[in-house]
Amino acid sequence: MTQAEAEFLLAKRQAADFSIIDEWIEPKSRILDLGCGDGELLSYLKTEKQVFGIGVDNDINKIKSCIQSNIPVYQGEIQDTIQLFPDDFFDCIVFSRTVDQLSTPGSILRESLRIGKRLIVGFINHGFWVNRLNFTLKGQRTINTVFPDSWHDSRKANPFSLAEFEKFCSVYNIKIQRRCCLGADWKKTCNILPNFFSGYVIYDLSL
Amino acid sequence: MDDSLLVVAKDFIHKGSFSFEKGGEIPSFNLRYETYGTLNENASNAILICHALSGDHHCAGKYAPEDKKNGWWDNVIGPHKAIDTNQYFVICSNCIGGCQGSTGPSSTNESTGQNYNLDFPALTIQDMVRAQKLLIEHLGIEVLHGVVGGSMGGMLTLQWSITFPSSVRKIIALATTARQSAQAIAFNEVGRSAIIQDPCWENGSYDSNKGPEVGLAIARMMAHITYLSDKGMDFKFGRNRRKSTGELFDVEFEVESYLRYQGQSFVNRFDANTYLYLTKALDRFDLYGEDNSLEKVFSKMEAKALVIGFTSDWLFPPNQNRSIVEAMLRAGKHATYTELQMDLGHDSFLVDAPDLYDLLKHFLSS
Repeated sequence: MTQAEAEFLLAKRQAADFSIIDEWIEPKSRILDLGCGDGELLSYLKTEKQVFGIGVDNDINKIKSCIQSNIPVYQGEIQDTIQLFPDDFFDCIVFSRTVDQLSTPGSILRESLRIGKRLIVGFINHGFWVNRLNFTLKGQRTINTVFPDSWHDSRKANPFSLAEFEKFCSVYNIKIQRRCCLGADWKKTCNILPNFFSGYVIYDLSL
Repeated sequence: MDDSLLVVAKDFIHKGSFSFEKGGEIPSFNLRYETYGTLNENASNAILICHALSGDHHCAGKYAPEDKKNGWWDNVIGPHKAIDTNQYFVICSNCIGGCQGSTGPSSTNESTGQNYNLDFPALTIQDMVRAQKLLIEHLGIEVLHGVVGGSMGGMLTLQWSITFPSSVRKIIALATTARQSAQAIAFNEVGRSAIIQDPCWENGSYDSNKGPEVGLAIARMMAHITYLSDKGMDFKFGRNRRKSTGELFDVEFEVESYLRYQGQSFVNRFDANTYLYLTKALDRFDLYGEDNSLEKVFSKMEAKALVIGFTSDWLFPPNQNRSIVEAMLRAGKHATYTELQMDLGHDSFLVDAPDLYDLLKHFLSS
């Protein structure tokens, strides 16, 4: 597969994520997208729900893309950025495929629940059966459209499973208001043994 | 082939009295300015450029093909450049209180026939912006598409968004601050002391032809260091030596020679009293206001804002630029902060930098 094809497939998968987040977001709400990338989600929500969204990223090329899309964006570290806002400043804080990149995910998620009334957290379920099988049979990590690069070409990541995430929520009394588990294709919902069969999960959380 | 814009400087004469924020007034004033590009039919494509402390209205092009130097931001402003003069009508004026053609301490006081010198009223950034507004109105522009400026120009840019919120759609402030830090005030004070303690200053009433040249040159040499960086100077000069006359304290290193040249050439184009007035205007600048709340001040802002900090700037470090956007965001405003990794210190915003061009172009057109 060429890199362009891989990026196209990934973009299609991201779109699945967007439509669920869109369903859960109230019109005109104030949103902080942590790890906003090119600002695609915020652009989408701005069109669909007239939200006022701010993005946070630390890559100059992503910042440029956000500016082109007319999305306000703050260049900085996520852990520093969330300290800047007063309690309940945002209606919703979005972590779309960001949590596994954070250096202190637990404290960042909890601090985010101070500045945001709700969190929407979407992540790749590392307990997905293909990942387990690859490791059990080949003793190797999965390489596919979701994880296209070998370990030596990948950035630092801290993958975790649906079950591990829910354990964290229960330990810190974070309420799971809604959950949407998507199957291997990140399209159809998957409610049977989600920690095994679900490829991507999205949570709506509050205190 | 040299495709530089050929430009002319113009004068806007305001024939009414102008009152200053801190008190005092002058019966009329002149602002020297330049424009590039064409104002469109509904006057919606105007961009105002605000210059830095020692800058002027000549920010792009040349006056004549044989001129050696282009305007100070010619790399940014011009046809097909980041601020595209085929698309925008670009205006730059020398600020009120300046000495490059606008009315300031070195201008003639009509009532005495002498230079104003220290009779010129105390100056603030807001005064400069209010005078610019009169020029903009004179040009038939109600709403500026953008106001753009770095350093002191960044202060003017921020002030525009607060003093005339409905007259600006976008602001871009670079390498700036919402208030001068103790360090920045301290450096200005050293510069002022050098001027004031030069015997030729004569309490500000020196003859126009020979002022406190030594003091002004020293002030400039010191200030110039604050515009650079350790790494930038090391790259440019290192420990490179010059041929010395052998005299004990003659120039030995390239960097010494460079600073002496900067000091000397500044004396030829800048007035010492003006330097005192402008640095005081910088020091007084404090957008935090009486309530010490920047977000309260920016709650008035209607413009969309882009603020850019530069990693090696230690005069107005990235954090001071960051704080501006943080306050704007807390005030619920559309504001973007970004930081460019550049080695040349405070003056980074003036040099060739494709990332900077992209940011300016995208933000102005989005």
